[in-house]
Amino acid sequence: MPDRNEARQANPVSSETPPLFGKTRFLQGLIEEFLDKISEGVLIVELGLRAYLSPAENLAICEEKLEQAIEIKRRCSELRRTIVTMLYTEMLLPDARGDVLRLLGDLFELLDQMGDDFQELMIVQPRSRPDFTQEFEELSTLAIRCVQAVVLAARTFFRNPEAVRDHINEVRTFEDETDRIALRIRRKIVASGLDFEQRSQLRQEVAMLDGLADMAENISDDLSIYAIKRAL
Amino acid sequence: MSLIVTLIFLSSGLFLGWSMGANDASNAFRTAVATRMIRFSTAAFLCSAFVIIGAVTSGAGAAEGLGQLGAINTLPGAFTAALAAALTVAWMSKLGLPASTSQAVVGSIIGWNLFSGSPTDLGTLGRIAATWVVSPVLGAIFAMLLYKLLVEWIRLTRPHLLSLDRNTRTGLILAGVFGSYAIGANGIGNVMGFFVEASPFRDLSLGRFSVSSVEQLFLIGGIAVAVGVYTYSRRVMMTVGDSLMTLSPLGAFVVVVSHSLVLFIFSSTALESLLAGWGLPTIPLLPVSGSQAVIGSVLGIGLLQGLKGVRQIRWGVLGGIASGWITTPLIAAVMGFVLLFVVQNVFGQEVFRAVHP
Repeated sequence: MPDRNEARQANPVSSETPPLFGKTRFLQGLIEEFLDKISEGVLIVELGLRAYLSPAENLAICEEKLEQAIEIKRRCSELRRTIVTMLYTEMLLPDARGDVLRLLGDLFELLDQMGDDFQELMIVQPRSRPDFTQEFEELSTLAIRCVQAVVLAARTFFRNPEAVRDHINEVRTFEDETDRIALRIRRKIVASGLDFEQRSQLRQEVAMLDGLADMAENISDDLSIYAIKRAL
Repeated sequence: MSLIVTLIFLSSGLFLGWSMGANDASNAFRTAVATRMIRFSTAAFLCSAFVIIGAVTSGAGAAEGLGQLGAINTLPGAFTAALAAALTVAWMSKLGLPASTSQAVVGSIIGWNLFSGSPTDLGTLGRIAATWVVSPVLGAIFAMLLYKLLVEWIRLTRPHLLSLDRNTRTGLILAGVFGSYAIGANGIGNVMGFFVEASPFRDLSLGRFSVSSVEQLFLIGGIAVAVGVYTYSRRVMMTVGDSLMTLSPLGAFVVVVSHSLVLFIFSSTALESLLAGWGLPTIPLLPVSGSQAVIGSVLGIGLLQGLKGVRQIRWGVLGGIASGWITTPLIAAVMGFVLLFVVQNVFGQEVFRAVHP
């Protein structure tokens, strides 16, 4: 039997016509689909980054993942617009509507930033950097885990606001680790004998990955407030 | 007595009803409208309809209880006593002091008793005064139990945020309807209780249906309350800044249900018969203050949350409200006495009929 996610991917809620009755359930489905797409986008960018950072220089895989990421961003943008319209026109969730919209908007912005950063990296062709491969892999893994933790926290917010705090602690831990590794890499870059252009590019890449974790942490800070407001 | 004269004498009761509709009736839908969970038009329609239904079908019980405190036996007397209560509430509201309609009514009846030399039934007065303590306490107990139960249920089932909000909205509508019915059943005694003994109407019979004079009186009172709801309650509903404590929609739902339960048990003749049938002590049918029940319920939710909740309660606001509970009946009694003197001696109206034992 296919699980819920598979069924949802096969027949996305957004492809259905909004029903006359049961709008709440329909909107719940849209929010779930939006969060699924964000998670999917994060995974795609992660795979793209891995290919980009791998010594094998998998340009074709990077291009494919970039295309996929752009498509997911477009889909998320559409979903967000539908959710915003429905929440306001159907007077759903008046008490927490603003918080929910800000959360979805921030998550979309995070995915958008990830996609843009990845695209920016792709403009400069991937190149082998044997001295930094391990550190960059570590950095990207932690930054992505930080982003994944905040998406999970957002999902938890809709069902169990009191449990959001656990995920937020994870986000903070990953963000601290990301900062630590980013600092280590920056120091190593400055101390390396690479030319100025190479050092600039590497430092930019570190800043991008570190920035993603910072964004995720900012979202988690806001989310903790939304969760406190909804706590019983 | 001509219809115009009758209406003039009833006008003070209608004014009191309008004032109750504008202020007290908003208790049933205030938070739902203020948090935009329900449109004002929906709330006003449901509130008006169920206040009238409650008043006509179940208003007699509580009104009878008030009649035992002092049976105002002339229409000018009832007019003056109702006017004294309405002016007290209006004046205190104007000064920004919280006033309870039921307390003003009790005060003005005592004023009439003093003026007419009628004895005040101390037993009934004691029971009414006891409800001023019992109704907030009961409200707090109901709110604590209900809130605890709901929180446990939500923790167990973990509904989606949207489903929880939808259920809360449905709950607020149902609780508002129940609250409006309870306000009609219990509060109409405050508004039209004065006129029961001196009702200017006669019983009507329409085929199989009969409408008693008291039911006609309560219908008019209910309509006055409904007019108050439609014309002025929106402003009251949207004013949440001076509330005792900031409530979540779930908390608001619990407060409305608890307040409605308190009003219901003090006005339900069916519940009285049921308890009597089981050989249990019955609850006196008396008009109680909805505002007191609301305050008790809010305090109950606050206390349930421990120190955090206690800190959230605006104790200054509570102090102001509690002081109003003492001053309102006193002011209404004095105002009633003075107005009766004026109406009798300046306008030459018979404000009481001497009853010889």
